[in-house]
Amino acid sequence: MNSKFIFRSILAVAVVAAASCKPDLKTVTPSKGSADFSRYIAVGNSLTSGFADGGLYLDGQQNSFPLMIATQMQTVGGGTFSTPFFNANQADGSGYKKLTGFTSPSDPIITDVPAQAVIGSATVPGFGTVPLFAKYTGDLNNYGVPGIRLNHITLTYYGNVNPYFERLLPNTSPANTVPYLNFVNSKPFTFFSMWLGNNDVLGYATGGGAVAADFPTDKALFTQLYNLAAGTMVKGGGSGAAKGVVANIPDVLSTPYFTTVTLKALLDVIQKSQPQVQNIFIQPGTGAPRPATAEDYFLLPLKAANVIGKPNAAGIPYGLHPLNPVESKYVLDKAEAAIVVDYTNSYNATIKSVAAANGLAFVDANAVFKSYAAGRTVNGALVSAAYISGNLFSLDGIHLTPMGYAIVANEFIKSINAQYGSSVPIVDVTKYRGVKFP
Amino acid sequence: MKKILLSFLLAVPILGYSQAFQVNLQGQKQTAMGGAGTGVALDEAAVFFNPGAVSFLKKNGVQAGASAIFLKAAFRENGSNLTEYTKEKLTFPPAAYAVFGNPNNRLRFGLGVYVPFGGAVHWDPNWTGKYAVTSLDLQAIYVQPTLSYKITDHIGIGAGLVYSRGKVDLRRGIPLTLNDGTSGTAQLKGNSNDFGWNAGIYVETVSGVTIGVSHRSQVTAQVKDADAIFKVPGALQDGFPTKFSANLPLPATSSIGLGFYPSSKTIIAVDANWVHWSKYKALVLEYNNNSRIPDTHSPRNYHDGGAVRVGIQNMATDRLALRLGAAYAFTPVGKGYVTPEIPDANRILLSAGLGYKASERFSIDLSFLYENIKSRNETNLETGLSGTFKTVAYIPGLSLSYKW
Repeated sequence: MNSKFIFRSILAVAVVAAASCKPDLKTVTPSKGSADFSRYIAVGNSLTSGFADGGLYLDGQQNSFPLMIATQMQTVGGGTFSTPFFNANQADGSGYKKLTGFTSPSDPIITDVPAQAVIGSATVPGFGTVPLFAKYTGDLNNYGVPGIRLNHITLTYYGNVNPYFERLLPNTSPANTVPYLNFVNSKPFTFFSMWLGNNDVLGYATGGGAVAADFPTDKALFTQLYNLAAGTMVKGGGSGAAKGVVANIPDVLSTPYFTTVTLKALLDVIQKSQPQVQNIFIQPGTGAPRPATAEDYFLLPLKAANVIGKPNAAGIPYGLHPLNPVESKYVLDKAEAAIVVDYTNSYNATIKSVAAANGLAFVDANAVFKSYAAGRTVNGALVSAAYISGNLFSLDGIHLTPMGYAIVANEFIKSINAQYGSSVPIVDVTKYRGVKFP
Repeated sequence: MKKILLSFLLAVPILGYSQAFQVNLQGQKQTAMGGAGTGVALDEAAVFFNPGAVSFLKKNGVQAGASAIFLKAAFRENGSNLTEYTKEKLTFPPAAYAVFGNPNNRLRFGLGVYVPFGGAVHWDPNWTGKYAVTSLDLQAIYVQPTLSYKITDHIGIGAGLVYSRGKVDLRRGIPLTLNDGTSGTAQLKGNSNDFGWNAGIYVETVSGVTIGVSHRSQVTAQVKDADAIFKVPGALQDGFPTKFSANLPLPATSSIGLGFYPSSKTIIAVDANWVHWSKYKALVLEYNNNSRIPDTHSPRNYHDGGAVRVGIQNMATDRLALRLGAAYAFTPVGKGYVTPEIPDANRILLSAGLGYKASERFSIDLSFLYENIKSRNETNLETGLSGTFKTVAYIPGLSLSYKW
């Protein structure tokens, strides 16, 4: 063993160490695969716009899933992405809900933040008065319009009756005549996301099946319109061709709007003061009042309404007697829930087959939401469908938190990557918040 | 960088981290020889490596030293294009030993102060894995008074009592959003005082090969009613705990070592360690207030770990010793249980060092250790954190000794 050898070896160790001073991971180079992201547009409803906490406001818009996706697409040649942001002095937008405290033991106190973007109202003949938001003028990539149903996308007057759509259009209500589908296709694009159809069943469900006008869109019409929409979008608004991604309709009945107020919870509260109470009586959509079962859904607003047990003029306590049942608008009864499930399944079958027929990436949002409903751990954070504490749903119990939208963004990215052989990087879900606590 | 590294070679390592949160930097000579030292009677550090060998030391002496651990871990979430690194966080595990008693007698005394467990891993407070851990500082200082007895001229036994003083500071994010949009945080801080032992046998065989066997017992670090500092939304603060208790096993290590002496100038040491990590089943944190959060039971399910080590010392001149070593350590952390506070994997260790006798009594030893922990793509079963970890460490160290 000579010393020279050891000296040389000492040097060798030093050189090896110097060569790898920082731990090196294999380099990843994101690629766009067979897709072209140079102009990506997002077509859809409230979920696309970044709607949260019962309103559209700047913070929600800044945390919309299309903006997250577009930011990731910029690593693989994606262009700029413009969102119709409310400006800073109208940041509260349409107004939204805020958690301001807890009663004891732990009921949330939710306060309404007033709208800042309403600038007046318009009267639409044959429709009535609609509020008007400050107009947005400028580049547009996020075309999400809260409230839009699939059966609205071809209506010429829709831009006059939906203020969220109206603010994107050049004319003031009631002078607009451009249908939504034409509007989004008025400029060439290379890639699109389309998440439509949710509202075709959601309004019926959140209204407790009480409003006739909210009845789900006819299944055959839905199929016809979805084919039209997809067939139009793949033409790229005049660019010749576009690739895209579509998502199906989540299971609305597993959202906190339907799962927070339960029969058991209502009985637990009322039995504290009236132990003899065994039933909550409801007014179903059809038929006579009857005791609620575990298969009927009470809606989130019933909690805030705080009416259970309150006597009416005749002295009959609300919800505790067949003569003063919980109103239909607070209940999605068993038969109505079956309608929601039936239509959702039918729509989803359509969406899946149309996506396949047009070679589009497909996000099974329904399955994703179901998988989170019971609770999943994401990078150490528990995410579930629990109201307020679940990190997934915002205060309205239907729309998502920024963290929820980040999870959705990653599902879209994964589907896009799978369909087009791209490797758009995912977003870091932990960078996005859940419900803000006081 | 090269310049800095070369200057490290003129410094000496004191604290290194090998195998989960075990630290194997208990003597500069041994560190420079790949961490081998159970089967040789090199110096006062035998108090740690093999108490049975202490009675074979030719001289009495004291030594004190420390290493500097430069450790950097990287993480990239699966599907992401961003790599995140731990912050520069230097730690300096010390090691000091004394051996006294008449070298001509059968009975000798030793005292050791060293850090066999520790770690400092600091991620960015807002990193991808913040809800798993943002930082961990851990240190267990052992103080070990030792007796060593030569049963015959060729067999020595020794044992020491270990007192362990542990310190832990663990921080993580809490997935609750404060009013300013940031996440809540938790900090768990505590100390422990515990006992263990260390015993060994040292044999000089007829063939000239020396053999050592040692066992360092497990110490269970018990943290009781220590501070749990939760920074959470004000509306929820009352339901959160202020105190926590936890038991962390600092596992036992069984070692066997051989010493070969091919010439009067050369010593080759070979060691095998068996580390009883399988006792680390779960990290259980018990809180004094469970109204908002339950006690946590994080499965770790480690299996036993081990290492093989080989080192060589060669006297280049009467005053200058050159040392070289290599080791391979097998991680105790199984698939699905890798956590960011200990992103452990199998590792390769390369070491080098030198010793200089300034006078008959006074000498200085330097070592440099490079650890390369294999990259590992994992999805943690508990947190779901999914990505690739890779860690490297550079550990220079220095010790001074005085003999009489």
